[in-house]
Amino acid sequence: MRRKRKIKRIALVVILSVILAVILVPLLWCVSLSFDRRALNALPEFSLIPHEPTLFNYEVAFKTIPLIRYYLNTIFITAAHTLIAVFFSLTCGYAFAKGKFAGKKFWFIFMLAVMMIPFESRMIPLYLQYKQWGLLDTYAPLLMGAGAYVYGIFFARQNIEGIPDSLRESAYIDGAGEWKIFFSIIIPLSKPLIATLSILQILSNWNSYLWPLVVIQSQEKQLISVGVSLFNAQQNEIYYGPRMAVAVISAIPLTIMFLLLQKHIVQSIAVSGIKQ
Amino acid sequence: MNKKQALKGKIKKQAVWYSFLLVTIVTLIALTYIPMLTTIKYSFCDVEVLGFGGSEFIGMQNYETIVHNAAFLKSVGNTLILAVMSLISIPLGFVLATLINNVYWSKAQSFFRVGYYFPNIITGVSVVLIFQVVLKTNGGLLNSALSFLTGHEISIGWLTDSHYSRFGATILNVWSTLGYNMLINLASLQSVPREIYEAAEVDGANAFQKWVYITIPQMTSCFVFLFITSVINGLARFTDLFIIGGNTPIGRPGGTLQTILMYIYQFSFETPRYGIASAGAMILFLLTFIVTMVNLKITGFFKNK
Repeated sequence: MRRKRKIKRIALVVILSVILAVILVPLLWCVSLSFDRRALNALPEFSLIPHEPTLFNYEVAFKTIPLIRYYLNTIFITAAHTLIAVFFSLTCGYAFAKGKFAGKKFWFIFMLAVMMIPFESRMIPLYLQYKQWGLLDTYAPLLMGAGAYVYGIFFARQNIEGIPDSLRESAYIDGAGEWKIFFSIIIPLSKPLIATLSILQILSNWNSYLWPLVVIQSQEKQLISVGVSLFNAQQNEIYYGPRMAVAVISAIPLTIMFLLLQKHIVQSIAVSGIKQ
Repeated sequence: MNKKQALKGKIKKQAVWYSFLLVTIVTLIALTYIPMLTTIKYSFCDVEVLGFGGSEFIGMQNYETIVHNAAFLKSVGNTLILAVMSLISIPLGFVLATLINNVYWSKAQSFFRVGYYFPNIITGVSVVLIFQVVLKTNGGLLNSALSFLTGHEISIGWLTDSHYSRFGATILNVWSTLGYNMLINLASLQSVPREIYEAAEVDGANAFQKWVYITIPQMTSCFVFLFITSVINGLARFTDLFIIGGNTPIGRPGGTLQTILMYIYQFSFETPRYGIASAGAMILFLLTFIVTMVNLKITGFFKNK
């Protein structure tokens, strides 16, 4: 009986490994293409090891588009947006979890209702508004909305509610105000929450596409996702190697982050799905 | 005197709490509520290219134009078809999660969890670049594999032939969302209390009965959540198909990959007609709104608050 169960489990592991391999093969193939000299003008036959190993494709990629610049822009926007968004979701989350003030319920619904307004449905007036303010082709449109990370507020409220009131009460006795309590008690106790929200923010910011495409016009200010896709549109049909090199380069930062923080990330995503 | 001071203290306390909310409230009013109301307004107006001053109320005309526009109707149809096709990722994710959940070695389990989730991390644009090669008509990985398996030379234009392009787009989508669906399903499976299964075992239930009578009902809220998020994402699908199509008619084979949002984009930024685009945006909003309301109703959100 026990042996039978063991065989069953081994079979499961084998099946799962095969499926996983099938799913990951496209990725590995593309990495191999990016290092293959033969992939420059034609698509060589499938092989997980480059036919003629070379770094030439990467050279071409770096020469044709300002990848480093895109990288720095994207890192800056991602970091700034994440910082702002997480900070203000915590402040709001704290007020809704522990605060006593008039209109609390109203403002909570006021914020949650926004979840029903998809960004795309207010994009045109927003674009015209920034145009009128003379802020197109700056980073303002990419960052000004960061202070309203509604999902984060909802999530932060749930988590901060679980922090016992006794900690706050003893701080009151010492004469601390709400902001002091927020910085000295709530933030230090919310590290897992901050980590989860930051991970979710980084993932979505790194991938944002439509809005930067619309508001950023100068090439040197563009973010990596849009920059890469514009490069892709210029290269029709050929240049497989350099295109794969670009794909690899733009996927590397999140891949590294994922490999380093895999458990946290998987946990964050799972939790964010369940709690909603 | 004392009363006055107490009142002052009270107001001050309120003000402190409001200082925590201020930035978010201002942001939401300026960048969400006002633009949304403006979209509603524009959708009833004849808005000229600049969008300021020259707008004139024209009632339902934009909506009439748009619902009689073949390209718009097609884009709505495409969006819905693609959103429904992408749902296949949920049952696939559930099957994967069930398999992984049955591997009791925790090391192997976390390896599979991380491994299967990995594609979801790959940047959207990279996924498109990769699948342009994988799904290529001649020499692409999928066609090569199919040719090898069937023994015939197969050259399907997964992203270029209008008969297959929706399948190609769905393959791409499922590849990148499968890990997410697996993860949420797995987390939900593991939160089903063990006692229920144990009680069923005492009653002599076999594995299949346990699966049908316990697992599936316990997973309903998870399925609903994934269904709704998947549909909402599907309605707003843009990036991958926009990059695949570029701005050429060849790239959107036979118009089969143009989504509502791509249509709105076209009338906002390529050939600006803001009134038409706003009417399209309103229809997109209403579709999303209905789905969200159904979601809130099912999950009992209104009862709790």
